[in-house]
Amino acid sequence: MSAIPLSWFLALAGVLFAIGVFGVLTRRNAVAVLMGVELMLNACNLNLVAFWRYLHPTALDAPVFVLLVITIAAAEAAVGLAIVLSVYRNFRGIEVGELDLMKH
Amino acid sequence: MSEPLQYALFGLVAATVLVPAVLVVTVRNLVRAAFWLLPAFLGVAAAFLLLGADFLAMVQVLIYAGAIMLLLLFVLMLTRSPGDARVPQSNRLTLWAGVLCAALALAIVVITGASYWPVASSAPAPGFTRAVGEALLGPYLLPFEVASVLLLSAMVGAIVIARKEASR
Repeated sequence: MSAIPLSWFLALAGVLFAIGVFGVLTRRNAVAVLMGVELMLNACNLNLVAFWRYLHPTALDAPVFVLLVITIAAAEAAVGLAIVLSVYRNFRGIEVGELDLMKH
Repeated sequence: MSEPLQYALFGLVAATVLVPAVLVVTVRNLVRAAFWLLPAFLGVAAAFLLLGADFLAMVQVLIYAGAIMLLLLFVLMLTRSPGDARVPQSNRLTLWAGVLCAALALAIVVITGASYWPVASSAPAPGFTRAVGEALLGPYLLPFEVASVLLLSAMVGAIVIARKEASR
């Protein structure tokens, strides 16, 4: 596993993160925005594991941190989707551009 | 593993992650976008396997490819508005967001490629899963417990928020 340079994994994670940012910026549907956020979280996890394997393979901080990130991503998805459901019930739509109640 | 095989595997994993990820953020039909998340998540799990984190790869498959994708699909089905597949799913920012994200990706690739990384020569100790388990219940016991309390409160909160209001 030493033939591939670390920067390749970092580049893969960086491009994945940028794709997630694109999804968050351009999607109209709130669920699709959440999909972009999940892609970004995956990119961060990939970064953490790559740093662990190449820089500190004997320490276990990074795998434990990745597990905690996955836990919090699951909690975020559950609460976020519950909020989406509640918004849909009250506004009959989940287009993020139209949810401007707090502006008025 | 021989070197060409490693490069081939990395290329395969990168394609499995990036092509579906682009489709996730561009496909018009959102149910298809949610299904394109599946190969992206599985590709990240394969990258974890390449990096020697087998337990994390399994957790990735279970939580992301299993639970989170299922949640997304359920909410998509519960909130489907009529004629959803025909209305555009992107806002007017698409061009500028594309330029911005391409610049961001390019900057990350160039900077990480040009940086010096003090790569360690040692390999991780065998028995990764066992070591992670012992770390979770040893030095990381407090974060572990806090995460479990957070999961419980998130579960209760999700039920309370998503529940139908009782008619008064």
